[in-house]
Amino acid sequence: MLPITLGIDDRLTAFQIFLASLAFLVVAPDALAAPRKPLTDSEVLERLPQRAADPVARELGELRAAAASASTNPVPAARLAQAYFDLALARGDPRYVGYAEAVVARFGEPMPAGLRQVRGLLRQYRHDFDGALADFAAVVAADPELAEAHAWRAAIFLVRADYGAAEQECVHLERLGRKGLAGGCRGLALAYGGQLDAAARILQKTLESSTDPGNRLWLLTRLGEVAAWSGKPALAERHFRDALRLGRDDVYLLAAWGDFLLDSGRNDEVLKDLAGWEAADSLLLRLAEAEAKLGRSNASRLAQALADRFAAARARGDDTHMAEEARFRLRLRKDVGAALRLAVDNYRVQREPRDARVLLEAAIAAGDAAAARPVRDWLESSGFEDAVLRRLGQESALGIRR
Amino acid sequence: MKWRGWLIALFLLLSPPVLAHKASDSYLMLDVQGREITGQWDIALRDIDFALGLDVDGNGEITWGELRARHAGIDAWALGRLALDRGGACELQVADHLVDSHTDGAYAVLKLAGRCPSSAGELKLNYRLLFDLDGLHRGLLRLGLDGVTQTAVLAPDRSEQRFAAGEVSRLAQFGQYLVEGIWHIWIGFDHILFLLSLLLPAVLVHEARRWRGVASFRVALVEVLWVVTAFTVAHSITLSLAALGLIELPSRLVEAAIAASVVLAAANNLKPLVERRRWLVAFCFGLIHGFGFASVLAELGLPQETLVLSLLGFNLGVEIGQLAIVAVFLPVAYLLRNTPFYRRGVFVGGSLATLAIALVWFVERAFDLKLISG
Repeated sequence: MLPITLGIDDRLTAFQIFLASLAFLVVAPDALAAPRKPLTDSEVLERLPQRAADPVARELGELRAAAASASTNPVPAARLAQAYFDLALARGDPRYVGYAEAVVARFGEPMPAGLRQVRGLLRQYRHDFDGALADFAAVVAADPELAEAHAWRAAIFLVRADYGAAEQECVHLERLGRKGLAGGCRGLALAYGGQLDAAARILQKTLESSTDPGNRLWLLTRLGEVAAWSGKPALAERHFRDALRLGRDDVYLLAAWGDFLLDSGRNDEVLKDLAGWEAADSLLLRLAEAEAKLGRSNASRLAQALADRFAAARARGDDTHMAEEARFRLRLRKDVGAALRLAVDNYRVQREPRDARVLLEAAIAAGDAAAARPVRDWLESSGFEDAVLRRLGQESALGIRR
Repeated sequence: MKWRGWLIALFLLLSPPVLAHKASDSYLMLDVQGREITGQWDIALRDIDFALGLDVDGNGEITWGELRARHAGIDAWALGRLALDRGGACELQVADHLVDSHTDGAYAVLKLAGRCPSSAGELKLNYRLLFDLDGLHRGLLRLGLDGVTQTAVLAPDRSEQRFAAGEVSRLAQFGQYLVEGIWHIWIGFDHILFLLSLLLPAVLVHEARRWRGVASFRVALVEVLWVVTAFTVAHSITLSLAALGLIELPSRLVEAAIAASVVLAAANNLKPLVERRRWLVAFCFGLIHGFGFASVLAELGLPQETLVLSLLGFNLGVEIGQLAIVAVFLPVAYLLRNTPFYRRGVFVGGSLATLAIALVWFVERAFDLKLISG
């Protein structure tokens, strides 16, 4: 996490704030707009995400050194790239994805299976789903021990709402005797396919036999989502809290927990539990929504920061934020037309329940029944049981502008 | 420091900046005019630290001192990963080092200067910064090539790009300067206030020490046309002379004189000295305002190859901007001309307010002080 709360916290007195502002104005009069020349050598320009002595930095340093000392050996390189990728997901910081990309890119074709697996992860992160599926397929063909590739293939098929293909991958995992992965795979496939009770049972059973904290966090997060879809908020909260109690950074968990709180109208708790996570776009979105619902003046500042980030992403040709930008346009900017366009485009690429939801909401706001037809078709064919989505689906069919 | 700056600084201090986690970008702005290259390259400190290691004391903070000590190394590293070619390899140097902030934190700013072997032809650019360390790094390029701006995203698979020169669409250039002209009259409050001060009495006649409304719209329209035309002709003359480099005046003098013209125009409404030949006033002071427009145009930069066309576009833009103001002002003023609201509130009150503001401007500009304006 970036130390973005650098200036102020509750403990500062008004006098300290006054002194700090004087110092700030003296030290950095035009710090904010244009290029400038700092006045003193001691002025701190940037705080790095970690110090060299921090455990994460030390571990990365060791992996980097190992990869560097055997630059043609793919094993330490794959380990380093995987560590970067994990850190990117934990902190929501895409720079680490770029570092992993560069490590992988040093090796040519044919790529060894371990490294190719990481490349698959990176490709799915960039929404190059076809490329990722091909990489994962090659990985399991070359080394059946790398069964995780089946799980990733299943995840991509689920994102594309291709439940039959996902089911096939789960079957592979069962045949390989990978019970934990198979349980997660099957549980998620059942949930997205609409059978929430059966999904919860399998995920719960898998959780009971799992000891790895990373796996437990993932299973608990998914259990929380499934419980929320099933209309069991108390159970969902218990799962989410169990996951949070593991004390591991995980942006996906915090986003799911934030959505749960937002849906329950518990906006204050969003601000409390996601505090300090503004650097991650997806969490900034949840924070901005909570501030807006509370009518806080800070909401417009956060919304502007989000707008800047979407603009910056577009400037570099990055279109992986469509679902979140659609939600931003709809809920914070009330720009229904842009929201619907983004939601429709996003649904062509990603078809998870949250993608379905933003498309339904945008279509209802725009009074455009036709735009939401793919989601209604999915609701019908999958039998997805979430009451909120079912209600939105019916409402969207009316095509009346709200 | 200006008061607006203080407010922004205080606001930002009370709410710390919302820094982003974003993929790495550098911002490369280059301006190539013939042989000459100027430019600016913003590179994130975090990226430089990842490539070269800036945090010498390992405390997780990068200070100006730590950065400054590594400037030579940073220059060699960055310039070794950027190549420009125009009729042969261009020389490139770092002329100055600054810092700036973007959405994800602090950046080193390298001011660039250089020279190419040829003053014409395509420009080839090769960019490889950080690609060996960060596969998602992108260089966001804004290139002005002989006055035409182009943008590009530089990526590992698009690290070398070619930019064609000399294909200036004359119409596009004309349109661009037209829009700039409109824009600059709208944001130039001193020009607008001067014009309005002259226009306010156009719907009134001063007789026997009293103001009354004009008899017909035609009378007001004719008066306005005289004033606007005279102002236009005058500032077109000086704008062209200054833009072509035939006359040059110190900008402080020009700015102060513009403020003085607003003072006098407003004062004339309160205690009329010039009543009938207001167009003459508009003409004389219009000459001064033309120099003001010229300084704006100088900041924009006039492309040599389409000089006259761009100048014409800018001038026409200023006219269109003016006419838009007149088109809104005149009908409303005409309808209200016999009301006390217009005579007292708008005419007298407006002139008084204008006078006050313009006086402050004048003092600020003449004596180089900062009182209120930001």
